[in-house]
Amino acid sequence: MHRAARRLLVPAAVAASIALALSGCTASNFGGDDGGADGAAEEGPIKIGAVLDITGVGANLGVPEQNALNMLADQLNADGGINGREVELIIEDNQSTEDGAARATTQLIENDQVDLIIGASRTGPSLAMRPLVEAAQVPTISVAANAAIVDGSEWVFKTAQNDLVVLERILDDAEAKGYTKVALARDATGFGEGIADIITELGAERGITLTATEAFEPSATDFTAQMTNLRGADADAVIIWGITPSAGLAQAAYVQIGVGKPVYQSHGVANSAFFEAAGPAAEGVIAPMGRLLVADQLSADDPQKEVIDEFIADYTEEFGSAPSSFAGHAYDAWKIGVAAIEEAGTDPEALRDAIENTSDFVGISGVFTMTPEDHSGLTAEALIMAIAEGGRWNLYEE
Amino acid sequence: MIDFLQLTAAGLSQGSVYALLAVGLIATYTVRHVVNIAQGDYATLAGLGSISLVSAGLPLPLAILVALVSVTLASVLIERLVIARVKNLTTLVSIILTLGVSTLLQAIMLLVWGAEGRRLAAFPGSDLDLGGVSIRSQELWMLGTLVIVGGGILLFYEKTRWGKALRASAEQPVAARIVGISPAVASVLAFAIAGLAGAAAGVVSSPIYLSIWSGGLLLGLKGFVAAVLGGLVSFRAAIVGALLLGVLESYVAGYVASGWKDAVAFFILIIVLIIRPAGLVLRPNAVRV
Amino acid sequence: MTISKPPGAVRSKTGFWPNNRATIIGVAVLALIIVIVPFTASSSLMNIAVFSMIFALPAIGLSLLMGLAGQVSLGQAAFFAIGAYTHAILLQKFEMPGVVAAVGGVVAAMLAALLVGLPMLRLRGHYLALATLGLGFIVMIAVREWEFTGRTTGIYGYGRPEVFGVPIDNNGLFFWFVAPFVLIGLVLALNLTRSRAGRALSAVNDSELAAESLGVNTYALRVKVFTLSAGFAGLGGVFYAYQVQIVSPQVAEFHVSVELLLMVVIGGLGSVWGAIAGAFIVELLSEGLRDLIPAIIPGATGEVQLIGYGIVLILVILLLPGGLYQAARTSWAAIRRGIRPRSRAADAAAPAVPDGTADTGAGEVPTRAFGGLAGGTSAAADAALLAADLPAVSTPVAAGEPILEVRGLTKRYGGVVAVDDVSFTVPAGRIMGLIGPNGAGKTTCFNMITGAITPTAGTVSFLGEEIQGRKPHVGAERGLTRTFQNLQVFSSTDVVGNVYMGRYRKGRAGILRGMLGLQGREQYTHEAVARDILDSMRLGEFAQLAAGDLPFGRQRMMEVCRALAAEPALLLLDEPMAGLSGQEREMLAGLLRRLRDAGLTIVLVEHDVAQVMALADSVAVLDDGVLIAHGDPETVRNDPAVIVAYLGTDAEEAEAELKELEEQA
Repeated sequence: MHRAARRLLVPAAVAASIALALSGCTASNFGGDDGGADGAAEEGPIKIGAVLDITGVGANLGVPEQNALNMLADQLNADGGINGREVELIIEDNQSTEDGAARATTQLIENDQVDLIIGASRTGPSLAMRPLVEAAQVPTISVAANAAIVDGSEWVFKTAQNDLVVLERILDDAEAKGYTKVALARDATGFGEGIADIITELGAERGITLTATEAFEPSATDFTAQMTNLRGADADAVIIWGITPSAGLAQAAYVQIGVGKPVYQSHGVANSAFFEAAGPAAEGVIAPMGRLLVADQLSADDPQKEVIDEFIADYTEEFGSAPSSFAGHAYDAWKIGVAAIEEAGTDPEALRDAIENTSDFVGISGVFTMTPEDHSGLTAEALIMAIAEGGRWNLYEE
Repeated sequence: MIDFLQLTAAGLSQGSVYALLAVGLIATYTVRHVVNIAQGDYATLAGLGSISLVSAGLPLPLAILVALVSVTLASVLIERLVIARVKNLTTLVSIILTLGVSTLLQAIMLLVWGAEGRRLAAFPGSDLDLGGVSIRSQELWMLGTLVIVGGGILLFYEKTRWGKALRASAEQPVAARIVGISPAVASVLAFAIAGLAGAAAGVVSSPIYLSIWSGGLLLGLKGFVAAVLGGLVSFRAAIVGALLLGVLESYVAGYVASGWKDAVAFFILIIVLIIRPAGLVLRPNAVRV
Repeated sequence: MTISKPPGAVRSKTGFWPNNRATIIGVAVLALIIVIVPFTASSSLMNIAVFSMIFALPAIGLSLLMGLAGQVSLGQAAFFAIGAYTHAILLQKFEMPGVVAAVGGVVAAMLAALLVGLPMLRLRGHYLALATLGLGFIVMIAVREWEFTGRTTGIYGYGRPEVFGVPIDNNGLFFWFVAPFVLIGLVLALNLTRSRAGRALSAVNDSELAAESLGVNTYALRVKVFTLSAGFAGLGGVFYAYQVQIVSPQVAEFHVSVELLLMVVIGGLGSVWGAIAGAFIVELLSEGLRDLIPAIIPGATGEVQLIGYGIVLILVILLLPGGLYQAARTSWAAIRRGIRPRSRAADAAAPAVPDGTADTGAGEVPTRAFGGLAGGTSAAADAALLAADLPAVSTPVAAGEPILEVRGLTKRYGGVVAVDDVSFTVPAGRIMGLIGPNGAGKTTCFNMITGAITPTAGTVSFLGEEIQGRKPHVGAERGLTRTFQNLQVFSSTDVVGNVYMGRYRKGRAGILRGMLGLQGREQYTHEAVARDILDSMRLGEFAQLAAGDLPFGRQRMMEVCRALAAEPALLLLDEPMAGLSGQEREMLAGLLRRLRDAGLTIVLVEHDVAQVMALADSVAVLDDGVLIAHGDPETVRNDPAVIVAYLGTDAEEAEAELKELEEQA
């Protein structure tokens, strides 16, 4: 009896599958030709995707970025969207991993067929996304720092200050103080890769040599070994290059081991979480960063003051705490992207050209002027030097 | 030289955490032949629990006490609800089963405490500077906890009637029955000891190494490597092995590259298993303490 | 020596030949599903389907390793990562064609597995599991720290190679690209489980000692399966690298190995179909929980799917150790019960009743024959037996020449000497009996001769070659076979399957031929031989029965059949008469005599002194580990030392008791 049933099974399955294939032939799984990557749909909602480090080691960056984007998308849709079209924001969590970013990007491009992508939060995942968005020709604005993300790219932009510029500010300050030797403890991931080379290069012009380099994982909690080596290094000052919380924990270990030399940190610590991780050890650390965290100390004629104050007020009202620089990077990416869509629509090439034509856009991290050659748009002007004092960042008079 | 001593000191304090976890692993292995992958998660659970209790307003000592008792009970609960339910539990099955337990515990911690690492307030005391070697007071607390908790468990096994019965039960269940301990009681007792040792390690290390939901697995595995150095039966050899492992890791981080630190334990594990699966102690096939 | 078995390993079908039709139907249905899925699935389901297919490959490999070789790997992700990295590096840094890069990825994974497998597979059970776990971490850290592998960021920017000129740039096409490989992998793996090597491995899981004694080189087979399993993982890695277009250290992380383990455990250990189902379920669970948990618990972020993994893993092991495969079989049996009612008791008593008996036409299971030989036919049966062909034997040396020489054989356990300086020579074509009181060291001697244990001192030469201290398969390959005092039955297969295993040393087909299914003729020939031997021992009617369901005496006979199937030159029988009925003893004795006459050399350890004296051409007597007499039965029977050894204790005791009685009186 069951043999007969088995014999029936195959034809039944064939019939069922053919029926399904004929009726449900959506073809969306084959890339589709109903819009998306190539021919942008001029109907329906505009889709903006975001790939952020919402969980994992980059969560201190990704979560405020997510908050900022959600808030801005709600504001935009409340104001009637872009040219009357609703904007759909699709945020994917890459779990602070490179392959998570790649999977999320593929999902956004192939399935959601977004018109613009924002992300990722850190360099590594952003680098992982780059070949994907370039192959699919989707304009993408990263909110991470490393210049390699945009170098020579046609389709990728970024809003965080270049690490090159940040290091220039640090080394300028070091030169002014007469330091000739610096040691480096850097993030072991994409954010910290290549930093030693840049310091060596930039330092040569300023008579500063790099005497020691240590690396730490962003997930590390014990820094004794690295800091012991830094203590033994012959240096006038130390650069700790990482993101919170690891850069903060490294700072705490640095003070505890008693290295006792002045510390520069990167713009990766431009948030209040740094003070939670570093505790009292944060005192006196100098770091270049955008103006957001010292907004209350800006002079009234600062061109960014109005934008920053409004953003802080909105964000604080919505989420109960002040935004970090990273929220600011997301703000800039969103605003630049939306402005370009307003101007050029969702045709990828037109949109890309519109972003490249962004000029004198006043954002949170600085005043942006993009060109086909410069996809980051910020100069050293975008940065101020800040010093950690009493559990917050203050404007540092050089 | 100062750097060397500094690295040694850091390694010893890290090793004391591995040592406590190794003690817990041996306790359950000798009685049940269970390799408990979730051992390290006891540590993070106790760390996160005590952090929450402190922020809820409990004084630090009370918070720690409550955390220790709760995790010990949790370990017993796991034994009763999961481990004891499998008939003919082989070591291999126990690994897969406790891997499930570990995954579940981690997920619960992730949902309750979130993805970020948290830090328990440092225990009272001031840091020392011994001729340039900086020692955190917390590190002394860690070594002290190893002496008290690890030593206490050793004494329990060697001096008390129940401890001796537990040893007997590891060797010969029938003999243990005569001493007056049933296999079920022995198993519960072993898991209680494992829970206590793990929780102590977690609470005392949280102020330095932080407690993060996913951190227990690696800690527990390193404790396991130390236990393997003791042939999975010798508490003393495992404690020595754990301290050596911590110090070796510290040297690798300091003199080779910090990124390779975590690989040290696994190289040792594979080499020891292949060369001498009975451990580095001399006489195999006997439970020693 | 204990052999740890994986948890609730699904015992393969008890029918000797698998139901190939079911496989063909299954593969056809799966192929159809694969064809239609891209047309019908939603985009998120499609994403799940794609990754299920990618991860099904390493899961199939792991399922082979766990089910067939009985080894648990907690580091399968290492080989997945090696495949992925090699593929990506060959594409990105060396700009190789896609095909070359893909083959390179698979080969690299297999080479790595071979290298680490050679030392690690000497480990057993949980030690191997933990060593592979360590390996996984080492690989993850190595790729993270090595400049060449792109450190934490990994290898990216290599694009997707075209396949036959078609750019695979969407999930639908990619699914069609990867699915055929999964199908082929599935068929290869299914073939393997049924091949000579697959049967040998499942025999090893039942009794490593018995399998080794039939010539199975357990270690070599395990290394091969480990390498093969890594090949599957490497292929999965290649597809992963292809699809995701970046390979970073995350692919080597422990949680990937855990996911793969979960897939295999859910599917049912050793079930290749289960691995594919498990892959789909785990991917579905992962995606589903990532949507579900944040909806239930606001603010939950990150790897929330872990909670499902943990719960499922625990529940499956506690409640359904055989996984989905077991569940499917149970429910299929229940359905069939509904169609063709059977007594519940019969099912409970014979849980391993061959599936598909209706197809083979064998009809009802011959449970009626349990009680012994059908009465009143013994004379006729004996006649039939005499007429039956004798199983073939090997005669590598002329009768009377020495075939086995034992010199100074000694075994010490700590301070206890179990066997002390025993020497003797066995001439070919003779039956030698080895007798002695309990604990005299007879079985220890046997175990040293066959390689089951290593002697403390002394040599064992078989056919002029020293084999002491080597694994049992070494002697077995040269024609030395044995049976066991404590039966070592391959309980996962049926009676004919057991005897077929005896033919192992006469077969040649390796893993590759097994996977390609190119050994059918060889297997059928050996099966026919196995059935002939069973018939000649009047066990033919039980051929289809699960071996474990045979009564004790028949199991012993079956072991003799199994040993004879190997066409041995020297047969070592450890208490073959124990548990046999008088009639069966007669029959066995007759058979042994005729085998001897055909040229077979036989050494038998026996408790029944009278039987040995009647049967053997020479008799050796062990007492307390020492060889106290050796010669023809008549001489030995009258040897005073033997009389003391055998009767001494009892006589003295009797005397002592008498004295006591007298004194009391």
